[in-house]
Amino acid sequence: MNLLAVSNLTKRYRRGGKTIAAVDDVSFHIDPGETLALAGPSGSGKSTIARLVLRLIEPDDGRIEFESDDFLALSGAALRARRARLQMVFQDPLAAFNPRATVARVLDDPLRIHGIASRAERPRRIAALLERVGLTANLAPRAIHEISGGQRQRVAIARAIVTKPSLIVLDEAVSALDVSVRGEILELLLDLQRQEKIAYLFISHDLGVIRSVAHRVILLDAGRIAENGDAQTVIGAPQSAIGKALVAAAPRLNRAGP
Amino acid sequence: MSPLRRFLRTPEAVAGALLLAMLIAMALSASLLFPGDPQAIAGPALLPPFQDWSLPLGTDRLGRDVLAELFHGARTSLAVGLAAAAAALVVGAVVGTLAGFAGGLVDEVLMRITDAFQTVPSFLLALAFVSVVGPSLGVVVIAIALGTWTGPARVARAEVLSIRERDYVAGARVIGMHPLAIAFREVLPNALPPVLAMSSVIVAAAILTEAALSFLGLGDPNRVTWGGMIAEGRAVLRTAPFLSIVPGIALVLTVLGVYLAGEGIVETTAVRRGLS
Ligand SMILES: Nc1ncnc2c1ncn2[C@@H]1O[C@H](COP(=O)(O)OP(=O)(O)OP(=O)(O)O)[C@@H](O)[C@H]1O
Ligand SMILES: [Mg+2]
Repeated sequence: MNLLAVSNLTKRYRRGGKTIAAVDDVSFHIDPGETLALAGPSGSGKSTIARLVLRLIEPDDGRIEFESDDFLALSGAALRARRARLQMVFQDPLAAFNPRATVARVLDDPLRIHGIASRAERPRRIAALLERVGLTANLAPRAIHEISGGQRQRVAIARAIVTKPSLIVLDEAVSALDVSVRGEILELLLDLQRQEKIAYLFISHDLGVIRSVAHRVILLDAGRIAENGDAQTVIGAPQSAIGKALVAAAPRLNRAGP
Repeated sequence: MSPLRRFLRTPEAVAGALLLAMLIAMALSASLLFPGDPQAIAGPALLPPFQDWSLPLGTDRLGRDVLAELFHGARTSLAVGLAAAAAALVVGAVVGTLAGFAGGLVDEVLMRITDAFQTVPSFLLALAFVSVVGPSLGVVVIAIALGTWTGPARVARAEVLSIRERDYVAGARVIGMHPLAIAFREVLPNALPPVLAMSSVIVAAAILTEAALSFLGLGDPNRVTWGGMIAEGRAVLRTAPFLSIVPGIALVLTVLGVYLAGEGIVETTAVRRGLS
């Protein structure tokens, strides 16, 4: 049974009098505990798909089934409650948090909103969450802008796992980090997936990263699916024109390739 | 350089702060230095200033102590000015945030209401409101706020429109936060700086409006106001001009002080934000 099933998803934007389809008749599914990667050139619709799946924007057409429910039919309090199961990590960990927030408040919000822990219990839960993502509990009172980019992305991951979601959407979540930090964060994500059976919708333009973390990959081109399949196979021998172009543009892959 | 040091290096800002400090000192010490009713008769009528050292600024037509009235008037001016400005800023920020954050029909309706208030000159609005409801301190405060909240509302809305597209607002939605909590806890505090930057102008304008209302006899009749004192003095403008000049100077210095100090604060904090 699929965790997430997206069918015929379409989102159009009007620009300068004519309509363009940012996402055009896209269908895919994600199974529990699986990583599906979305790759494609800039403007191919990756972020738009992420925002549609998270109900941050509404599609013009299509269906989204999440945990066997019609996700697009949810609204108001029912939607907010269900959001506990479907989380997101953004690309820029500084922009993803209220500039006035502290680490503790960032993690306190979901605990409070979803009634996960009583007020008295929350500091302990926050400490445990910080340790779970490889940080120390004494970071809690710090302001978000006072910690490093890597630490911030760990806090973002901690916030995403507070509510024990079954799916996390990661939109270029490691792209803004430098290489050594990126490796550590990917390691943390893989570890969480093994321990908690979380599925990832993993958006990245880096085919090397995708090959190391994703089970399957979808290549997008101008809002449409150009190629779709096992991550090793697709990246090893792309069939579509856009797939060949993406692989050719990834220098590390060429050197490692056959 | 710390913001305080930078503030103290701006001569206009320091002058403004000193004027403001004097005004606040006057307001706070009014009932200590001049206990009892400032509207009670204290001596012979129309005593000129600097004649009798128990009545340094002389007396008015009814023999009331002008200095005592000036001190108690400072209290009214400051209280009404601050209260009206605070009310205008709070209402403006709330309306602007709701309009900008909700968008669509809510935005449309709130902004048409804002337009309606803005097309009526704010002083006429205040005048009409006090005439209908009757003069008292609270009514004067509401009347002034009624004409001034639209500016802060527009500024707040513009700021909210840009903030609501930021990732952290999407992040708040993703964790299931209620839209009203997002609007008022996450967005509004970050939209406040440019709104608060308007406060010096709003306080200064509110003090002037209060004086104008009092001058027209629409102030709280149970309180001494500078506008009322100027109106009183008008009847004897030729023989005793000081009765109008003294509260007039107080009014000018107060508005100047509020404006200069407020601009100084905005300037120093703006520089700091620009540097960081
Ligand atoms: N709010 C919007 N209004 C108009 N057009 C939009 C909007 N959001 C996205 N688009 C358009 O939709 C298309 C897909 O954008 P999207 O952000 O999903 O691309 P992306 O694959 O995430 O690109 P990148 O790799 O640069 O992040 C682009 O052409 C973009 O200009
Ligand atoms: Mg994108």
